[in-house]
Amino acid sequence: MKIIDSSPGSTSRRFILSGAIWFLAATAVGLLAATELVAPEIVKQKNLIFPRIRPIHVNTNVFGFLSMLLVGAVIYAVCRLCQAELWSERLGNWTMWLWNLAVVTGMISLSMGYTQSHEYAEYDWAIDVMIVVALLLLTYNLLQTLKRRKEQLLYVTNWYVVGALAATLVVYVIGNVMWKPANGALAGMTDAEWAWFYAHNIFGTWITPLSLGLCYFWIPRETDTPLYSHLLSMIGFWPYFAFYLQVGTHHLIEAPAPAWLKLIAEINSVALLIPVFAFLTNQWMTLRGNWWKIPDNIVLKFLFAGTVFYFLTSTEGSLLALPSVERITHFTDWVVGHSHLGLLGFSGFIACGAGYGALREMHGRIWSERLAHLQYWLMLVGIIGFTLVLDDAGSIQGHAWRNGEVVYRVLPELMQDYILRAILGCFIVTGAAIQVYNFYKTTCPQISPADERDARQSAEVAS
Amino acid sequence: MMTPRTVGLGIAIIAAATSFSVLFLPAMTAPTQPSEIFRARTNIENEGRVLYIRNGCIGCHTQYIRPSDWAFEPLRVSQAGDYIADSPHLLGSERTGPDLSQEGGLHPDDWQAAHFHDPRFVRPASIMPDFEFFSDDQLRELIAYVQSLGGTMADARVARQNYWKPALIAAYARGQDANAEFLYAHVPPQWATLPNPYPADANALAQGEFVYEQECINCHGPVGDGNGVAAPYLNPKPFDFTVLKRQPWSGGLLYYQIMNGITGSAMPYFKEDLESAKIWDVSNYIATQFIGTAPTLPKVPIPYQGAIPASREPKGNKQ
Ligand code: HEC
Ligand code: HEC
Ligand code: HEM
Ligand code: HEM
Repeated sequence: MKIIDSSPGSTSRRFILSGAIWFLAATAVGLLAATELVAPEIVKQKNLIFPRIRPIHVNTNVFGFLSMLLVGAVIYAVCRLCQAELWSERLGNWTMWLWNLAVVTGMISLSMGYTQSHEYAEYDWAIDVMIVVALLLLTYNLLQTLKRRKEQLLYVTNWYVVGALAATLVVYVIGNVMWKPANGALAGMTDAEWAWFYAHNIFGTWITPLSLGLCYFWIPRETDTPLYSHLLSMIGFWPYFAFYLQVGTHHLIEAPAPAWLKLIAEINSVALLIPVFAFLTNQWMTLRGNWWKIPDNIVLKFLFAGTVFYFLTSTEGSLLALPSVERITHFTDWVVGHSHLGLLGFSGFIACGAGYGALREMHGRIWSERLAHLQYWLMLVGIIGFTLVLDDAGSIQGHAWRNGEVVYRVLPELMQDYILRAILGCFIVTGAAIQVYNFYKTTCPQISPADERDARQSAEVAS
Repeated sequence: MMTPRTVGLGIAIIAAATSFSVLFLPAMTAPTQPSEIFRARTNIENEGRVLYIRNGCIGCHTQYIRPSDWAFEPLRVSQAGDYIADSPHLLGSERTGPDLSQEGGLHPDDWQAAHFHDPRFVRPASIMPDFEFFSDDQLRELIAYVQSLGGTMADARVARQNYWKPALIAAYARGQDANAEFLYAHVPPQWATLPNPYPADANALAQGEFVYEQECINCHGPVGDGNGVAAPYLNPKPFDFTVLKRQPWSGGLLYYQIMNGITGSAMPYFKEDLESAKIWDVSNYIATQFIGTAPTLPKVPIPYQGAIPASREPKGNKQ
C-alpha cells in the first residue's frame, strides 16, 4: 500500500475505509461505556473509566466515523456530478492522513484527560488546528474539482457540500474559541451559549447537510428517477441553514440565558420543520413508484431508513425544544436517545449506505451483499432498540424527578434499560465489524463469494 | 444562479448574520455583575476544578438548578451572575448523577473522601465510577472544589459542618454510651419520646430492609454495628445501633436523626431521599433487627405533646 496514493478514487476510498474502521472503534468504546454504566467497577484503569471514554466515544463517532465516511462518499459524489476526477488525489490523501491523525490524537489525549470539556468540542487546541487545516485542504480540493464541472449550475448535492464547508469552517473556529488556545473557552453564560451554538451546528452545518446531500445524490441515482422537485430543494436548503444556525440555545432552555435568545432558538427549532419536510417530501416523492426497489438494493435500503430516522429525529427535536416538553426530557436519557437516533439512525445509516454505494460503483460489486443486508438488520434492531430503551429510561427519570424523587433513588429503576442498551450495543458493534470486513474485501482486488463459487463449480466440472 | 460562489457566499453571510445575533449580541449584553452568592475561588479550589474537567465529571453532573427543579434543600434557581468566573462553563447536559451547583457543605469532607474512593461505600446503588487513583493532594483539591460549589451559601454550610465536627469527634472519643447521650441531647424531646406510629409487621420490615440496603448498609454495616466498608474513612465512625440496647429507645428519635442527619458527621439527611413512611419503616427495621426491642404500638393514641417553638409563637399571645 502506498502511503500517498495518487490513483483516481483513492482519496474517496480511503476516507470511506477509515470511517468504517472508526465506526468499529467508536462503537466498541461505546459498548464499554454502556457496560460501565451497568457495572461501574468493571474497569479500574483510569484511562478507561466512563467519564474519560464517553468523550472518546462521542468524538470518534462524530469526527472519525461520520465525518470521514461522509466526506469519502461526498468526494465520490462531487466527482461524479462534475464528471471529473478529484483535483488532486495527493492532496486528498494528505488530508485523509491528517484527519486520521487528528482522530487518533484525540482518542489518546482524551483518555489522558486532556479535554476542553465543551461537549463535542472536547478536542484540545492542537487537534482543532489539525481539523481546521484538513477542512481547508478539503474545501480547496473540492472547489478546484467543482471548477472543472461540465454543467454550469450546481446540483443540490453540491449546494449542501459547499454550504456545509463554508458554514462549518466558521462554526468550528468560532465555536472552539480557537483564538484562546489555553482552554478554548470564554467565561460565564456567554461561554455556554457559544459552546452550544457550536455543538448544535456541528450536526446542523456539518453532519446533517452532508447526509442530506448524499440522499439527493443516491436516491434519484439508484431509482433511475429524476428528482421530484427543484423548488422543494430550494425550500429545503436556504431556510435550513438560516434556521439551524440560530437554535443553539435550545440546549439551555432553563439555564439563566437571556429569554430573547431562548425564544429565538425555540421559534427556529419549530420553523426547522419546514426545510425538513421539504427535504422529506422531495425524497419520498422521488421514491414514489420505486418502493419495490428498496428491499433488495442495499444502498437504497440504508438511505431510505436514514430518511425515516431523519423524520423521527427532527420532529422529536422540535418537540424537545418546547419548554413544556423540555421540562421532562432535559437532562435525561431521552436526549441521549435523540442523539443516537440522529447520529446513528439518520446520519449513520446514510453514511453506511452512501459508502456502500460509492464502493459498489468503484469496484463494480460489493464483496458480499448478504453480509451488507445482515449489517443493515443488525443496525436497525440496534437503533430501534436504543430509542425504545433510552426513551423509556428518559421518561422514568423525567417523571420521577418532576415528582420530587432524587436522582440517586431513580438509578435502580433504570438498570433494565441500561442492561438492554449494552446488549443492543453488541448488535451495532457486530454490524460495524461486518462493515469493516465487507468494505475491506470489496476494495481488495479479489473475487467475490459468487465468483469463488463459480470458479469452484467449473473446477469440479473440469476434473 | 446556484454556483459555488453564490452558495458559499450566501451561507457565509447567513453564518455571519446569525453569529452576530446569537453570539456577539448576547456576549456584549451579558451580565457582568456577580450574583449575591458569588465569591472568587481559591487556588486549591481552582486546581480541583481542573481535575473535575479532566476527569469528565461533566458527563454525569450538571451545575445549574432550574426553575422546574425541586427537592434540593438549598433550593435557589441559578443565576447568570453565579458563573461569571467559570471558564470553561460546566453547566452540563445530563443528570446521570445529581446536580452539583449547591453541593458545597451538604456533606463533610470525610463523606466526600469515602465517596470518591468508592461511591458505593456511601451510596450502595451508585453507578458513579470510583476515583481511587487520585493522589491525596488531588483528592484534597477536588474536595475543596466540590465544597466551594454554591458560593457563599456553600461556605455557610461548610462552616456549620466544621463547627459541629470537633464536638462530634470528642463525643465519640468519650465512648459509645456517652456518644449516644450526646446525640440524644440534640434531638427535641417531643421527637425523642414519640413512638413509631407504624407496626413493625412483615411488610414494614421488608420495606425497611430494602431501604437499609439501598442507603445505609455500607456505613452502618450488615449487622448494624457501624462497621460498614466506609467506616475506615469516616470520623466519627458510623453509629453502632447495638449500643441502643442499653439506651432508652424510641422510634421518633431515630426518625428525627434519619430525617435531618447529623451535621458534622458523615450521616446524611434523608428528608429528600425518603418519604416519611419509608423513614418509619427503616426505623422499625433497625429496631427489630439490630436493637432487638421490637417496638410496641401504644395502646391509646398519645396526644401531641410538642410545644410551639418560641420563635413561631404568634406575637400577640405572649402574655
Ligand atoms: C457515571 C456517571 C458519573 C460520573 C462520571 C461522575 N459521577 Fe458523581 N455521581 C454520579 C451518581 C449516579 C451519583 C449519585 C449517587 C452517589 O452519590 O454516588 C453521584 C454523586 C456525586 C456526588 C454526591 C452528590 C450528593 O451530595 O449526593 C458528588 C459530590 C459527585 N458525584 C462528584 C463527582 C465528581 C467530582 C466527579 C468527577 C471526578 C463525578 N462525580 C463523576 C454519577 C457520576
Ligand atoms: C455515609 C455513611 C452513613 C450513611 C450512608 C448512613 N449513616 Fe447513619 N450515621 C453515620 C454516622 C457517621 C453516624 C454517627 C454520628 C456520630 O456518632 O456522631 C450515624 C448515626 C446514625 C443514627 C444516630 C444514632 C443515634 O441513636 O444517635 C441513626 C439513627 C442513623 N445513623 C441511621 C441511619 C440510617 C437509617 C441510614 C440509611 C437510611 C443511615 N444512617 C445512613 C453514617 C452514615
Ligand atoms: C429539526 C431538527 C432538530 C431539532 C429541532 C432538534 C432539537 C434538539 C433539542 C431541543 C435538543 C436538546 C434537548 C435537551 O437537552 O433537552 C437536541 C439535542 C441533540 N440533538 Fe437534536 N434536533 C434536531 C435534529 C437533530 C439531528 C438531525 C441530529 C443528528 C444529526 C441531532 C442531534 C442531536 C444531539 C447529538 C443532541 C444532544 C446534545 C447533547 O449532548 O445534549 N438533532 N436536539
Ligand atoms: C455500540 C453502539 C453504541 C453504544 C453501546 C453507545 C453507547 C453510548 C453511551 C453509553 C453513551 C453515554 C450516555 C450517557 O452519558 O448516559 C453514549 C453517548 C453518545 N453516543 Fe453512543 N453508543 C453507540 C453507538 C453510537 C453511534 C454509532 C453514535 C454516532 C453515530 C453515537 C453517538 C453518541 C453521542 C453523540 C453521544 C452523546 C449523547 C449526549 O450527550 O446526549 N453512539 N453512547
